[in-house]
Amino acid sequence: MMDEKMMDEKKQEAFRLGVSVIILLGALTIGEYWLGALASLWWAPILGVALLKAFFVVRDYMHLPRLFAGEETHE
Amino acid sequence: MTSQTTTLADYRRRESANRLGLWLFILSDAFMFGGLYVSRFYLLGTDTRPEVSQILGFVVTVVLLASSFFMNRAETAMAHGDQKAFLRGTLITLVLGVIFLFGVVGVEWQVVPFGPGDGAAASLFYTMTGWHAFHVLTGVIFLAVVYNNGRKGMYTAERHWAVEASAVYWHFIDVVWIFFYPALYLIGKPLL
Repeated sequence: MMDEKMMDEKKQEAFRLGVSVIILLGALTIGEYWLGALASLWWAPILGVALLKAFFVVRDYMHLPRLFAGEETHE
Repeated sequence: MTSQTTTLADYRRRESANRLGLWLFILSDAFMFGGLYVSRFYLLGTDTRPEVSQILGFVVTVVLLASSFFMNRAETAMAHGDQKAFLRGTLITLVLGVIFLFGVVGVEWQVVPFGPGDGAAASLFYTMTGWHAFHVLTGVIFLAVVYNNGRKGMYTAERHWAVEASAVYWHFIDVVWIFFYPALYLIGKPLL
């Protein structure tokens, strides 16, 4: 019973992280769009936003740290 | 009990090796995309870009980002033994992937005012979007297989490497588009 509750809490926590990341990605994509539409020659900030978006996807969705965690499980 | 524990330990070891293999594959694939990305700036610089629909580019980007969110949700659900949420998330991801494919190949390719034979830059636009779309297609097939196996109950919270692999591959496709989108749709004034 206790295990189930802990598992559920962990799941909710993981879901919340996923929601936070997509909100961040959405905001960055809208910002990137306006930057491209209004100042399309500012390539450095636009690429900076892309790098930031990629960072969050690789870290939080692709779970890159798992690769270095050996045989640990999915936390 | 002991045998079960040993088997799970073996599974974890295999999973760890598989994970390294998948990331090496992704790294090698990234070099191909990297070459195309650099070619875009070599041919068009940072002042110009292909004449494409920025609104359509934005819409397909949002669709692909949303698909990544649902794939993450599906994987998280499976990791916690929630079969129903896993199937739902995978199916939504799959549908969004098909919508993305339709948006790029079915709509964008039809409305751009140039063809693949109209010079190197035009050809590169089709190569970049086409090669990426091919990866989306393979990702959709991968997801369909995982979805089908999931329906048969082949994955558990402890053993679902295929789910993780399909998720990582799908997010990789998303990361590639995160770089292709500004390069093709945002940076520079329309040239072609």
